[in-house]
This record gives sequence, C-alpha cells and structure tokens, in this order.
Amino acid sequence: MNELLRLWRLFRPYRSWMIFGTLAASLTLIANVTLMAAAGWFLTAMAAAGIAGVAMNYFTPAAMIRGSAMIRTAGRYGERLINHEATFRLIASLRVWFYQHLEPLAPARLQQYHSGDLLSRIRSDIDALDNLYVRVLVPVVVALISVTLFTLFLYLHAPLLAASGLFFFLLAGVALPIWSRSRGQAPGQRIADDESTLRTSVIDGVQGMAELTVYGATERQAQRIDELSHRLIADQARLASDHGLTQAAVGICTSLSLWALLWLAIPMVRSGQLGGPELAMLALFTLASFEAVAPLPQAFQLLGRSLAAARRLFDIVDTQPAVSDPAGPSPRPERFDIAFERIGFSYPDAGRPAVSDIQLRIPQGSRAAIVGATGSGKSTLFNLLLRFWAPDSGTIRIGGHDIADFSGDDLRRHIAVVSQHTYLFDSTIRENLLIANPQAPQAAIEQACRVAQIHDFIAELPEGYDTWVGETGVRLSGGQGRRIAVARALLKDAPILLLDEPTEGLDAATERDLMRALDRLMTGRTVLLITHRPAGLDWVDQVLVLDQGRELARGDVSVVPKAMAAELLVTAAERATGLQTPAASHSS
Amino acid sequence: MSVNAWLKSQRPLAGKSLGLAIWLNTTNGLLAIVQAWCLAVILDDVIFEGSGLDTVAPWLWGLLALFAIRALILWLAERSAFEAAAGVRTTLRNQVYRHLQHLGPGYLADHRSGALVETLTKGIDDLEGYYARFLPAMTLTMILPLAILAVVIPVDWLSSLVLLVTAPMIPLFMILIGSGAEARNQRQWKQLARMSAHFLDVIQGITTLKLFGASRREVDIVARVSDDYRMSTMQVLRVAFLSSAVLEFFATVGIAIVAVFIGFRLYDMAIPVPHWLPVPDISYIQGLFVLMLAPEFYAPLRNLGTQYHARMAAAAAAEQLIGVLETQPAQLEPGTEPLAVTRPLGVRFEAVHFSYEEGRDALKGMSFDIPPGERIALVGTSGAGKTTVINLLLGFLTPGAGRILVGEQDLFRIDLDDWRRHLAWVPQQPRLFQGSIADNIRLGVPDADLESVREAARRARAQGFIESMPAGYDSLVGERGAGLSGGQIQRIALARAFLRDAPFVVLDEATANLDPESERLVQEGIDELARDRTLLVVAHRLATVRGADRILVLDQGCVAEQGTHDALAAAGGIYARMIAAYGESGSDVTDTNPEDDPA
Repeated sequence: MNELLRLWRLFRPYRSWMIFGTLAASLTLIANVTLMAAAGWFLTAMAAAGIAGVAMNYFTPAAMIRGSAMIRTAGRYGERLINHEATFRLIASLRVWFYQHLEPLAPARLQQYHSGDLLSRIRSDIDALDNLYVRVLVPVVVALISVTLFTLFLYLHAPLLAASGLFFFLLAGVALPIWSRSRGQAPGQRIADDESTLRTSVIDGVQGMAELTVYGATERQAQRIDELSHRLIADQARLASDHGLTQAAVGICTSLSLWALLWLAIPMVRSGQLGGPELAMLALFTLASFEAVAPLPQAFQLLGRSLAAARRLFDIVDTQPAVSDPAGPSPRPERFDIAFERIGFSYPDAGRPAVSDIQLRIPQGSRAAIVGATGSGKSTLFNLLLRFWAPDSGTIRIGGHDIADFSGDDLRRHIAVVSQHTYLFDSTIRENLLIANPQAPQAAIEQACRVAQIHDFIAELPEGYDTWVGETGVRLSGGQGRRIAVARALLKDAPILLLDEPTEGLDAATERDLMRALDRLMTGRTVLLITHRPAGLDWVDQVLVLDQGRELARGDVSVVPKAMAAELLVTAAERATGLQTPAASHSS
Repeated sequence: MSVNAWLKSQRPLAGKSLGLAIWLNTTNGLLAIVQAWCLAVILDDVIFEGSGLDTVAPWLWGLLALFAIRALILWLAERSAFEAAAGVRTTLRNQVYRHLQHLGPGYLADHRSGALVETLTKGIDDLEGYYARFLPAMTLTMILPLAILAVVIPVDWLSSLVLLVTAPMIPLFMILIGSGAEARNQRQWKQLARMSAHFLDVIQGITTLKLFGASRREVDIVARVSDDYRMSTMQVLRVAFLSSAVLEFFATVGIAIVAVFIGFRLYDMAIPVPHWLPVPDISYIQGLFVLMLAPEFYAPLRNLGTQYHARMAAAAAAEQLIGVLETQPAQLEPGTEPLAVTRPLGVRFEAVHFSYEEGRDALKGMSFDIPPGERIALVGTSGAGKTTVINLLLGFLTPGAGRILVGEQDLFRIDLDDWRRHLAWVPQQPRLFQGSIADNIRLGVPDADLESVREAARRARAQGFIESMPAGYDSLVGERGAGLSGGQIQRIALARAFLRDAPFVVLDEATANLDPESERLVQEGIDELARDRTLLVVAHRLATVRGADRILVLDQGCVAEQGTHDALAAAGGIYARMIAAYGESGSDVTDTNPEDDPA
C-alpha cells in the first residue's frame, strides 16, 4: 500500500484533470440512472392516468428524459476525452520521470539488468499504471459519490429499501473487489515478471539470431518463447476467468437487489405506502444503478498487476547511483594533468580489490599507457576516472581538483573516449556524430570525418551523412565504426582523451589509418591509453603495468618487457604446478 | 493480402471457443427477452391487477433462476472468448517468431530489432481484442437485433418500425466518422513501435550517451517521443469516442421515441405520425416489455462501436505481422539433402558473386578452396568481403551467382540445419544470452554434462575466471555479460565452439580482446581444436595468421593472393605491404613472441 501513496504523489500534478474527469463520469452515470428511472415512472404514470382518465403533467418527466439523455451522451464523450488525455499525459510524464532516475544509474548499477527487462519497465510497467487512474481511482470516487446519492434516493422512498439496496451495493462494490484483489495479486505479479522475461527472450532471440542459428539453438529459443507465451496467457486466462466471474457476480447482485426490492416493495404498493409508478421507477432505477459499482471488481483485480509494475519501477528509482553529484558547482580546471593518488577500489560482492594502491601522474599534454592482462584493473581505472564509480580510497585529480568535486556530466565534458566498443545508435551517421556536439555545423562534421579518415567513405554512400547506420551499427564494418568514434571524439574536442584498445580487431591497413587519425586527435591533449598489448607503445611517454589490480612496473616504455617477463615467469610456474592462469578474474 | 482478410483467415486458430463464445452470448441475449417479459408481468400484476406477493411469487422465483443462468452464461462466455483469442495469440507468436528465424539474420540486419520485439510482444497481444471481443460482437450484431425485432413486431409493430428506421443510421455514421481512422491507427502503431525501438536503443547505448554528456539531453527526447505517442493515440481515441457518442445518441433517441410513442398511446393521446398510418393500441404490459427491450436492441450495436477500436488496434498490429510473414526467405526452397561427407569437411567457392544492393558488388566472382583438415586464414582490409564470405558460408546469405561446394555437394541443396550441425562459429562480438555461464557454453549442446562444459572452458582458458566467480558456472549473465570483460566474453564464446566439437570451425577474430598471455593460451587451445578439423580464421593479427596452412588475401571482393605466410611475404604483393604496415604502426606482435624472450 506504500506504493499507492507514492504513486499518488506522482499523480498529484494531474489533480485538476482528475477532478474534472471524475465529475464528468459521475454526471454521466447519474444522468443514465435518471433516464431509466424517469422512463419507468413516466410510462407507468401515463398508463395509470390513461386508465383512470385523469389529467397529468407529462411535460416535466418528458423534459427530464430528454435532458438526461443529452447529458448522458455528452457526458460520456467528455469524460472519456478528459480521463484518457489525463492518463496519457500522466504516462508520458512517468516515462520521463523513470528515465531521469534510470540515467544516473548507468552504467554501474544497470549492469545486472538485461536491456529487455529495462525496456519492459519503461514500456509495459508504466503502461500498467494507467489502470490505476482510469480503472481504479476514477471509478472508486464515482462509485462513492453515486452510491451515496442512490442510497439517499431510496431512503426518501422507504428506509427499508435503502438498507437492502446499500447491502447489495456493498456486496458488489466492496466484497467482490476484495475477493478479486486477493485472487489477482499473485497472477498480476507473475504477469509483470513474465512480460519482462518474454521481452528479454525475444530480444535475445532477435538480436542473437545468428549465433542461435549456427549453434542449432533456434528451436530451443522458439520453444522458450512459446512456453513463456503460454505461461503468460495462462495467468491472463485466470484473470479473465475471474473477471467473467465477478461480472457475473455483479449481475447477480443487481438482479438480487431488484428481486429483494420487488419482494419488499410489492407489499408496500398493496398497502398504498408506495405508488405504482414509483415501483416501476425503482425497479428500472435498481437495474441501472449497479453501473456505479460494476467496474470495481476488475479494477481491484488489476491492482495486483499495477502494484507489481509500480514496485518494479520503484526498484530502479530507489537504487542509489554508484556516484552522486556534489552539491556545489564543479571546479573549472585550468590545466588538464591527471593524477591517480593511491587509488583502491573493489566492486560490490567481488572477492578481491579490482585495483589497489595505484599511483600515476600524467602531465598535461603527455601520453600514458596502462598495460595489463584482461582483468588486471585497466578498465576499472577508466571507470573511476570517468566517475562511473568512486574509489574506495585515494583521490583522482584533474588539474589539481579532486574529481569528486565535479558533477559527472561536468567532469566528462573534459574527456573524450574512443573505445573498442563503439555504440552506434539506430539513426543516421550525422545524428550519431552530433551526439558529441549537437551544435556542430556540417563543415565541422566533415572536417572531423576527414581527420578520422572516414569522410571519403561516407561521401561515397548514396545518402552520404544521412545514411542510416542501423541498430548497433550493423551496416558499418568494425573499422568504419571505430573511425566514426574517432570523429565523434574530435567533434567533442575535449582536453583529455581516453583510448580503450582503439585498434582492437582491426586489420593492419585500417589500424594504420586509424592510428594516423588518432595521432591528429592526440595532438595537444592529455592522453591515457589502456591496452593488453605491450607492443608498439613507443609513442607514449610513460607506462603503468598492472597485474591483478596492482602496479607491476611504472616508468618509460623500457619497463614493459621486463615486467611482462617477470609476470610470465610466475604464470609459467603456476602452469607447471597445474594452476590456472591468473590473467582472468571477475570484472575488469 | 488485405489486413481484414488476413485477420479473418486466422480465425480457425481460435478453434471452437470462438463459436462457443458467440453461441453463449446469443443465448444470453435471448434470455434477456425472457427476463424483460417476466419483469413486465410482475410489475403489471402488482400495479394494475393489485396482486400481492403470493400471486407473483412463481414469477419472482423464475426471475431468480433466470438471473443465475444468465450469470453462469456470462462467465462461460468470457472464458471462451479469452480462450479463443489466446489460441490465436500463442499460435501466431510462435509462427511469426519461427518465420523470423527462417528469414534469418540477413533480414534482421535491415530491421530495427526494437520494433520487431514490439510486434512480437505487444503487437500479438493487440490481436486479442479482435478475436475475443470484436468478432463475437460483430456476429451478435447480426443476430440479436433481428431476434428482438421478431419478438417486438407481433407485440407492437409501430415500435419495431422506430427501431428498424434508427438502427441503420448507426453503422452509417460510424463509417463516415471512422473513414480516416484506419490511417491514424496505423500511424499510432508506428509511433508506438518507434517509441519502443527508441527506448531499446537508448537503454543499450546509455553509457555512450553519458560519455558525451548527452544522456540528460535525452530526457527531452524521451519526453518528446512519449508525447508524440500520446498525441497520436489521442487522435485515434477521439475518433473512437466520437463514433461511440454518435452511436449512443442515436440509441438514446430511438429509445426515447419508443418510450414517448408508448406513453402517449397509454394516455390516449395522438402521436405525431401520418394519419394514414393506423396506430395500433397497446397495453401497459406490452409497452413496458417493449420499452425494456429497446436498450437491448441497441446494445449489440453500441458494443460493436466500443470494440471497433479493438479491431483497429488489431489491424495495425496485423499489418506489421503480415509484413514479416509475407517476406520470403532469400532461398525459396531450402535444401533438403543431408550432408554427405561429414568429417573432415572441405569447402570450395566457385566464382561466387554477391551484392547487398543493386550495383554494389560485395563479392565479384570469388573462388577459393578450403581443403579438408586445413587451416585457412582470411585477411584483407575492412570492406574486402571477409564478413560476406562468412555469412555465405554460414548460410545466412545465398550467392547471387556461382556456387559454394561442401565436399562435392552444392550448399544450396544441403539441408542448412544439417550443415550447421557441423559448424562452430565464434563471431567478432559474441553475444551472451540470458541464463547461466554453463547454459551459454552449452548453447550448441544443451544436454552436455558439467564435466564437458568445464573441459571446454578449460580449453578456452575460461575456467580460471569462471571458477573464481562466487556462483561459478551457475553465475547468471545477461546480453553484455554484465561484469565480464570483452576478453572474458570472447573466451566463453570460444568454450561454446570447443564444446560443439564440430568438424568445421569458423573463428572471426577469436583472439581479439585477449592479452598476449591469454591469447597464447587460447591459441594453444585453437591449435588443439584444429587437429582433425577444418579451420577458417578471419584475422587481423599476423600472429594468428602465421600458423595457417594457407592465407587468402581478399581485396575488393576477390581473392588477390594466396599462399603461406613466407611465400606471400616474399612475393611483395598486398600481403607483404600489410606486413610492412604493421611494422609501421608498430603493433606487430609477431615481434614480441614471449617464448622467444630470453628473460
């Protein structure tokens, strides 16, 4: 129920929409009931007057019928329009709200989530919240207002009838919803989870189809999707069946209420306590009035799904970012040297520290390399420098300022990264370049691409810079994607440049072209390279060799062969005793 | 096929449940007539005959029984309607996904996976409204109003005339209003698919956005995309609501006219009809009965109006589904022959042509031979055609001209499943699937025991880091292998290939992302793997290439040179220039072979 309170706070900006929507819905409902009741009374009174041959005023009831018919039609249209508009506005704002909370968590806290799971949260879980508004909140308020009025109306005719009517209203509007809520809770939770798993499996199945195909695993993936589909639908079937049952039960409540009314009112007509036309009016009134409570059982059944969705959203929203931004303004460094001062860091739940006691000073405009095997802690140092994580001990400084004093965005404004994993967005080449600098003019874009040795290739494409690169850059080769990443970094024009195995997986010619492009990019910037290849580092001014998060050697390039040799000796000794290579460990 | 025809043609998937749902709903509607009659009798008896409870009690009990039966029917109808749609949904989801698999990775490369995912999840679910609600509502519209008319005509033909005249106005106006709705609905669906694809893209690339400080900017885009979706949805809904309102209006007018005509006649007043029309007399019981039936007459039509939106949502989804289902796979008739020679396998390319788009040839009559048991390296600049060769070999693409022979068999005729059973492949950027590390290694051999998984991991040099993880082989990994480095993912993929134990192995940069020590270890594993197997290695690094029996140098879609490392290096062609390039860029690891290091 705590979720409900929190959701209410999110709904609050839409209060006035809700008030108007609820009023319109109540008005529509009351008009409809009035229409039926007045018609019943009118007909019977006319017949009675006709038989008795007395005059009667038929103008008032006729006007009432006309008026309520018009209100009903217009009211329903207005009510739907208002409430749906409000819902979609609410949903749109919730998506933004969710994204705003998701964004600071990347990448550190999102590692454990599959993109399908996150997509499911921002799509269907947020959609599931519309139930709360259109199907729970509005109907509950409408039911409260109208049931009160209806009971009062019955009370004016006979208290006994009011008591009986209220009893059935409560049965249909309170007891049934409680029952269906308890029945809907478990399937609702399961549906939220299964929808996410299904999405995840479909994403795996679509994006990973090549591997599944070659490894003959397509059949299994298809079966898995089919199985999930069946499981999901089985739970939905349970809900649908319960829904049918509660609808039937509401029907029974309506009928029983009518039945009880007849049973109680017929003797009253005989005793003259109640007029004939009133009886017809009350009978039709009863049939129509249950529309007030009819939507409630399903609303409360869906509450389970909505609350499960809310919990999945709050799970993300409540996660603390790995690094939080400081309150004050970020410092404005005047020089861009980098200093790692006795840095130590462990990932949560990791057995051993990822890095410990790391010291490195990179003067402005100089080039440094960190060399080490996979899992030696190179990437960790990048993550720390980019403030994706914060060190457990020690300080990282840029231009003498502790990077903890910077907000993440302000810090990263000074840093450009070229990495082996270039994510290209499903958009045009131009859009992908503009990410680095949305205001860049075409001339600057072309200039950057020329330097990155990719302009000629792009210019040859039929659509040039407007060529769609496709999801994760499927249409570009690895080398081309990497060069676009270099162009991006050039456009960003940041004083610090981080290179993460920029030439990995490229052929020699491409690598040479890229290195030439990088050379232009590196000019005048403070450069830090991480690599697992100790060779070809003549162009750097200093090297730090890492092994399992510790410094193995530091100095100019000449320290590398010695350090690597020493490490190899250790490895060889371990191999001799049958131990595993230490090269790999969790999280690099 | 038109969307409508397609939706109708899927009807058999709903099975008997759909018929049952329609039948139950019809019965329920007919029972409403009986219920109205009971109620009219009771009210008439009490009000005009002065009867008491004792007289009407049997009618009251009958009414009670009727209520119970109708409630039961309602429940069963709801269940079978759901059942009907469920049948369609599960079958189609399976069918469409399998069709996608049939189309293969080649088709997927040209489509946004986010949009496809949306079609397969939400799109399929959107079909529910059509089969569970629209189709039954449609049938009921044709049955129930006629049944009610048939009952009302003998009772009071004037009222039935009113009903008969007003009823056709409803569908007429709905068609007028809904004429532009289809297009708007299509647009709305596209907007939805766009939104989903966009969100998936943003989620998968959020780190990159962050590096460029663009992730906050993205807030505005998320807001805009969500808002666009809201507006296009509201456009669709406004039409749906307007048509419902018109419907409602006509139904209300109809009921009011019926009520007024009955009331006036009961009061013996003249009613405004042409005087040549002989106005029939009516009794209270008849009048009440007809009045109670009037809303029932319009109810199916109104219901149809409400469900019309469900039909449009289904039609929009169906269009996407048809788009997938009507795409033919590149190879119309898949091969059926089993693979004749299995071990060891040799492959020959004979003048193979391929182009991704008209006029831009990726392969221009490429010919080469991969003899059984040999180790062939494929080198060349990016864009030379290496990836295309591999995609052809894996059967993802089919040659435009020329042929690929496996042994003496044309790959075109071979059952691709059988061919792939004899393949192992490590792509450039391997993907890990939702599940444990063991499951991921088992991808090609699902029933392998843990011992073989371990052995494969050991040979891929992945055992060390896997076993150092708290949950070991049971550690759960996601698509990017949460917490695993590129090199670690690569080694898991390599373990996959080891476990597969296939006679033909394709390694696309299998040792990229590895540090020299791991690379050497993995290379040893690969050497072990190469024994008795045919190996095709795409490589950029000379160390990997050196050990090959033959090197194929690709250039602009052709084999430019081939031979051993030494022969090619001496020949002074492209390959020799490539070696020189390595020297120049200074990252030729062949110079730093650690084993030669005296230290």
